[in-house]
Amino acid sequence: MKALIIDDEDLARAVVREHLAAHPDVEVVAECANGLEALKAAAQQQPDLIFLDIQMPKLDGFEVLELLEAEGKRPAVVFVTAYDQHALRAFEAHAVDYLLKPFSKERFDAALAKARALHAAQPAVPAPSASDLAASARQGRPLERIVVKDGPKVTVVHLDRLDWVQAQDDYVLLRTEGKNLLKQQTLASLESQLDPSRFIRIHRSYLLNLDRLVRVEQDSKEHREAILRDGARLPVSRAGYQRLRELWEGA
Amino acid sequence: MHPLLASRAKLGAYLLGWAPITLLLAGIARSQGWNSLEAGALALPLCLSAAFLFLSTWFLCRALPLGGTVEGLGAHGMAWGMAAVLMGGLWAGLAWLLARMLAWIPGLEALPQRVGNALPVLTGLGVLLYLASVALSYLMLAQERTLEAERKGAEAQMLAQESELKALRAQLNPHFLFNSLNSLSALTAVDPARAREMCVLLSDFLRRSLGLGERRLVALREELDLAKAYLAIEQIRFGNRLHLTWTVDPAAEPALLPTLLLQPLVENAIKHGIAALPEGGILAVTAVVLEGHVILRVDNPLDADAPAPQGLGIGLRQVRQRLLGRFGSRARFEAAVQDGTHRVTLVFPLETEP
Repeated sequence: MKALIIDDEDLARAVVREHLAAHPDVEVVAECANGLEALKAAAQQQPDLIFLDIQMPKLDGFEVLELLEAEGKRPAVVFVTAYDQHALRAFEAHAVDYLLKPFSKERFDAALAKARALHAAQPAVPAPSASDLAASARQGRPLERIVVKDGPKVTVVHLDRLDWVQAQDDYVLLRTEGKNLLKQQTLASLESQLDPSRFIRIHRSYLLNLDRLVRVEQDSKEHREAILRDGARLPVSRAGYQRLRELWEGA
Repeated sequence: MHPLLASRAKLGAYLLGWAPITLLLAGIARSQGWNSLEAGALALPLCLSAAFLFLSTWFLCRALPLGGTVEGLGAHGMAWGMAAVLMGGLWAGLAWLLARMLAWIPGLEALPQRVGNALPVLTGLGVLLYLASVALSYLMLAQERTLEAERKGAEAQMLAQESELKALRAQLNPHFLFNSLNSLSALTAVDPARAREMCVLLSDFLRRSLGLGERRLVALREELDLAKAYLAIEQIRFGNRLHLTWTVDPAAEPALLPTLLLQPLVENAIKHGIAALPEGGILAVTAVVLEGHVILRVDNPLDADAPAPQGLGIGLRQVRQRLLGRFGSRARFEAAVQDGTHRVTLVFPLETEP
């Protein structure tokens, strides 16, 4: 079984390595100090199991998992973290195991056994998506950034740099700083993770960062357009206009 | 106990207040054709007795509070009116009794006759005086309540400050603690000597931070020692990702400042600076003295890809509030990002333990 240890602290990786030494059938194929290294190593080594820290620079653990998923990889995952334990309790429902730092040998072995069992059996219930896990760990707080794999390059889009999002079948097109990025996700699923007072569904196919909106123009009776700060125009549906008005009147 | 009876000075002032009323009463009597002896003989004992009799209004007023509204006055108006008429009548009766008792003194033989004629006027006057003393009692009660409220307010503020400090002390970042314990767990196997060193560092830090919270003001030296203990632990966790630079002017060390002001700054610098960067960077703490002021500064690198922090986080807001709360306009708080470096600067007057 090939395993990857992903943690930005040397000593934290050392503990996992030490505990794994008692399991000769598990081979540590790489150790990674950040998410980008992890993606590279995963592409080269095709690990069956990853030990994943959550709070790391650049990409956090959930984002690493999400990007691995986007490439069709589903290694067994054990989160290893000092993250808030209440936030992680929800993981138990998802049959994903986690180790709270610091942990005992017994606890480590149990987590490994569980991950092994999950890996061996074809799971009857599909494993939860990384974004679902991340959402449950956020405990209702909205998303703050979106990760996109753009060829070999990973881009982190902070939401205050996101202008609008357009639905394109199973993809969403993200408009940020004059560039378009494609990400495999539905608009409805992305919308549910965003702060509804910041991003408004102005049209069946468009989510708009409210901060970018200058005004709404009415061309004809049933046709409205949103004028953005950079001069761009997006269609506004009747329901979308209703939502904008509710927001304005509420404020 | 009535507040006016509680202090001799207050009682004196109160009785002195009755002097013009006594003179007024005697004056009215004189204008009605009484002679000076008659007017004085009646007015003086009558007013003295009224002065003590009407003290009772304070207890009644306390039992019938106005509740801070004008409506309260109306609610009790009926009761007060009846009490005033009763007391006015009683007072007039007292005057009549007094007149009868004084009548045997030569020259005062006509007093009962004169008081008898003046009974309606005396009753009216009694009512007025009684109502006036009710007003005075309410005034005194209101003032008492104001003082009480002020005292309670000051007390509440003190308690709030203390609990805030307690909360700060308890605010030992759990993430830091668990990560440190995890590092310790790793070291026990690979480097027992360093594991022991880390145990000592951790204990040192915990002891210092627990001890500091007991005090309101602390010398900068102790704040720096706490930060050093904390950063020595983070140094083990982050290894060569964390580079520390200390620039401390010894003249700044005895400067007094509110407790636990520096700690949130260095914790922030680790969390948003070093921990967010794969390569880490330099965390610089500077304390210098310039023109009677201490300039305390914490610098850390920021992730260039992340958006600039929007406003101050709760930790920095608290630091600013507590700094300005202590020194007012004599202190300054600045937080800024320039060329990828986040810098927090505190400037405050150099004051030392006397």
